[in-house]
Amino acid sequence: MSPTESVSLVLLLAGCGFYLAGTIGLLRFPDVYCRLHALAKADNTGLFLICVGLAVLSADWQVAAILALVWMIGLLAATVSAHLIARHAHGAGREPVRPRPDR
Amino acid sequence: MDSATVYVLAAAVLFGVGVHGLIVSVHLMRKLFAINIMGSAIFILLVATSAPISGQTDPIPQALVLTGIVIAVSATAFGLALMVRMCQETGNASLAVEDEPENDD
Amino acid sequence: MTGLALDLLIIASLIGLAIQAINGASLFRGIIHFVVLGLAMSLAWARLDAPDLAMAEAAIGAGVTGALMMIAYRRLIEIRPDHDNATRTPRSRLALPIALASGVLVGVIGLAAIQAEPLPGQAGIAVLETLESTGLGNPVTGVLLLFRGFDTLLEITVLLAALLSAQAVTRQDDLDRSLTTEDPDTPLIGALLAIVVPLTVLISVHLLKAGSQETGGAFQAGAVLAACGVLLALTGRLASSRDYSPLLNGGLLVGLVSFILIGLAPLLYGQPLMALPGVWAVYFIESAMMISIALTLVLLFAGAASLKRRSRG
Repeated sequence: MSPTESVSLVLLLAGCGFYLAGTIGLLRFPDVYCRLHALAKADNTGLFLICVGLAVLSADWQVAAILALVWMIGLLAATVSAHLIARHAHGAGREPVRPRPDR
Repeated sequence: MDSATVYVLAAAVLFGVGVHGLIVSVHLMRKLFAINIMGSAIFILLVATSAPISGQTDPIPQALVLTGIVIAVSATAFGLALMVRMCQETGNASLAVEDEPENDD
Repeated sequence: MTGLALDLLIIASLIGLAIQAINGASLFRGIIHFVVLGLAMSLAWARLDAPDLAMAEAAIGAGVTGALMMIAYRRLIEIRPDHDNATRTPRSRLALPIALASGVLVGVIGLAAIQAEPLPGQAGIAVLETLESTGLGNPVTGVLLLFRGFDTLLEITVLLAALLSAQAVTRQDDLDRSLTTEDPDTPLIGALLAIVVPLTVLISVHLLKAGSQETGGAFQAGAVLAACGVLLALTGRLASSRDYSPLLNGGLLVGLVSFILIGLAPLLYGQPLMALPGVWAVYFIESAMMISIALTLVLLFAGAASLKRRSRG
C-alpha cells in the first residue's frame, strides 16, 4: 500500500468513526437539542474527513475542488436545517433536558 | 453467485414485501409505499437481467426504467392528491373499518 | 469479493428499509424509511452500472417523491392531528401466501432470464452502433429522444395528466395554510436562498448539457430545478394562487408542445415522424422538457392551480 493510500485509509476510517458517533448520538441522546448537536458537529467532521481522504486518494486538484464544494454545500445545508429545527422546537416550547440535581 | 443473480433474488424479495404490504396495510400512504416498492423491484429485475453489450450496459432497459421512475412519481403524486381529498371528505385516510368507534359490527 | 459484499449490504438495507417503511411504527417514520430506501436504490443502480438511473432515483425517486409524501402527510395531520394512531393492521390469512407466491414468481422469471444465457438485445446493439453518427455520447439520452421518442413524449404527457388529475381532485379553497409557516423569517433563510438558488439553477443546466454526452438529462435536471422551486415555496417566496398565469401555463406546456412540433416537422420534408433533425433538436426539446417537468413537479407539490411570487417586507 502506497503512503497516499494509507493516509487516505486512515482519514476515511476516522470519518466513518465520526459518522458512527453522530449516529449513536442521534439514537441515544435524550432531546432534540442534544441530537442536533451530535448530528451537526460529528457528521460534518466525518464528511470533512471523508472528503479529504477521497481527495488524497484521487490526487487530482479538480476532484479535490469538487469535494471541497460538496463539503461546503453539506455544511450549509446542515447549518441551516439544524438552526431551523432547533428554532422550531424552541418556538414549540420544548424544554432542553437538564441533568438531575442529585447527580 | 454473481451480482446479477443476487439482484434478481433481491427483486423477488422486494416484490414479495411490496405485495404483502399492499394487502396488509390499511393506511393509503402505506399502500402507496408498497406499490412503489413493487415497482422498484421490477425495475431492478429489468436492469439486472439485461445482458451487457461488449462491456457496456444495454441502454434500452435503462431508458425504459428511467421512464418508469417518472411515471411512478406521477402516479404517486396523483394517489397522494386522492388520499388528501379522501381525508378531507371523510376525515380518514385509511381503509380500516375498525377505526371508527361508532361503527357497530 | 468486496463487490459481492457491497451488493449484499445494499440489498440487505433495501429489504430492511422496505419492511420498515410498510410495517414501521408510525407513518412519519415510514416516509423517512421510504426516502432512505430511494437513496439505497440509487446505490444499487450505481452498482448495476446505471449512473443515469442512480441520479434519476436520487433526484426523482427519493427527493421529489419524499417531498410530495411529506407535504401530503402534513395536510393529513392538519385535518386530523392524531393521524398516526390509525394504523392498525387487519389479520389476513391469505396475505403471506400471496406475497410468497408473487415473490417466487418474480424470482423464477428473473432467474430463468439469467440462466438462459441471454444474448445482448438487438435493439441495444443497434443503438450503440448508430449512436456515433447522431452526435450524442450518452446512449440513454439517445434512446429517450432519438430511438424511442414516442415513449418520452407519452411520458411527459402522463406527467401533465397527473398534474391535471391532481388539480381536479384537490379542493382549492383551503390550501394556502399547509405550504407556508407562520414562523418569522430568520436571516439564515435569506442567506441560504442566495447561495442555493443560483447553485441549483447552475447544477440543473449542467445536468441538462451533460446529458447529451455523459450522465444526466432533462428529467434529472428538471427534478433538481423542481427542488429549487420546492425550497422557494417552503420558505414562503412562492405562494399558491388561483389566478391564471399565462407564463406559468406556457412553461407547463412548452416541453410537450415543442416535442410534438419538432416531431411533426420531418413530415414536411418527407422524413418519417419523430425523426429529429439533429443534436440541436435534442438540446431544444430537453431544455423545454426540463422547464415543464420542473414546473409540473412544483405545482404537484404545492397542490395548487398556479403560483405567485410573494415579496417579504
